Amino acid sequence: MLLKLDLNDPRPLHEQVADAIRQAIVQGDVAPGDRLPPARDLADALGVNANTVLRSLRDLRDEGLLEFRRGRGVSVLSRPDPREALRAMVRDLLHEAVRYGYRPHDIIELIKEIS
Amino acid sequence: MNDLSVRDAAFRGRFLLAAGAWTVLVTAVLVAVPLWFRDRLPDPLAAHWGPSGDPDGTMPFTVFVCVALLWVVLAGACLGAAAAGRAVNRRAARRWITAGLGWGAAFILGLQILTIGANLDRRRWEDAASLGWQAAIVIAVAFLAGWLGWLAGRPGPDERPAAGEATPPALVLSPGERPVWVSSVSSPVAVGLALAALAAAVSLAACALFGLPAELWIGAGVFAVVGLAGLWLSSVRVKVSPEGLTVSYGPLRWPSRSVPLAKLDRAWTERRAPADVGGWGYRGLPGQSTIMIRGGECLVVRYTSGGELGISVDDAAQGAALLNALVASGVAS
Repeated sequence: MLLKLDLNDPRPLHEQVADAIRQAIVQGDVAPGDRLPPARDLADALGVNANTVLRSLRDLRDEGLLEFRRGRGVSVLSRPDPREALRAMVRDLLHEAVRYGYRPHDIIELIKEIS
Repeated sequence: MNDLSVRDAAFRGRFLLAAGAWTVLVTAVLVAVPLWFRDRLPDPLAAHWGPSGDPDGTMPFTVFVCVALLWVVLAGACLGAAAAGRAVNRRAARRWITAGLGWGAAFILGLQILTIGANLDRRRWEDAASLGWQAAIVIAVAFLAGWLGWLAGRPGPDERPAAGEATPPALVLSPGERPVWVSSVSSPVAVGLALAALAAAVSLAACALFGLPAELWIGAGVFAVVGLAGLWLSSVRVKVSPEGLTVSYGPLRWPSRSVPLAKLDRAWTERRAPADVGGWGYRGLPGQSTIMIRGGECLVVRYTSGGELGISVDDAAQGAALLNALVASGVAS
């Protein structure tokens, strides 16, 4: 499972971790029914505390993306709907745009330009 | 290409036919020879010889003929391995099959010849000739036959995915991002067997502790080693991060081995089966080894030293892609 953490992201770690896992689910790296690696492996890989990962996993479970099963670990329950997925991407795009000094309406112009 | 695969399929057919004919031939001999000498053998006949060389165990004649079943099971396992998957078209796997067929045939035939020879024309099994050094000859001949079988497996195609053929496209990494790939694979069967072995070790140790023969300590030790080794290789966790590749073993993720990025050359995926690498667990020699937990897609990494390590993990393509991207960015900067 491929996860990406933004090193400059000021948001709380557990949100970032949840985003990284959500992104992996949206992009189809893990399909519904697949098991996620154990939380401590994820924590070790991302260099964060295991409790942080557990908190992210619980958040994602509450979103309906993950399922916790006793003895079988954590598996993907469903893929978020594309609109929600796109919303996350647009949020990232806007976030990235701010770095270059672009405002949301500049991005709208840009999208109109290329489509 | 197509021509080649037709030739490979023809070779596979011929190989299976020859191996099947060998199995049938040896089975026929194993059944026919005792039946031929039936009138000259005692019933029951001597079938086991003690350390002194004198017979100390017997077997009814019908059971003796059924020893052929042992061969059928062994040869059936070899043929099954050959018929399933692509083992026939891979030299290393094919050689193990032919070696197994040669060794098994020679060993079981040798035992049969020894037993019949010792029992021939005796009235009672107690009169059977004593055996000692002959057993060593049978074992030596069996290994010779296995070696011949191993040689016989050499001719033919050697299909191996060319290194890097399945190299996935490298990922695009953006600076300011920490990408990691983590995957783990575990075998519930191995965990179960290992726990059973550990339980046996504890039981034997307890028996030895409470006054039963001290030899049980040896059994306890063996089971403990087997159980711990099984547990150690029952699961593997692989991590690819900007620091390098980390392989951790066992449910405790310890021991763990890290290879810095600078020592990695590149990675790709390859389908490997237990038959290709010689079974489950840690297979091969350091520098050319495979950690085989389950057959199928493996992540293969090549070190800058030229060595290779294959690990059977899920989602290997992404791991390979990330590793290649990290290596490339490390070279670039």
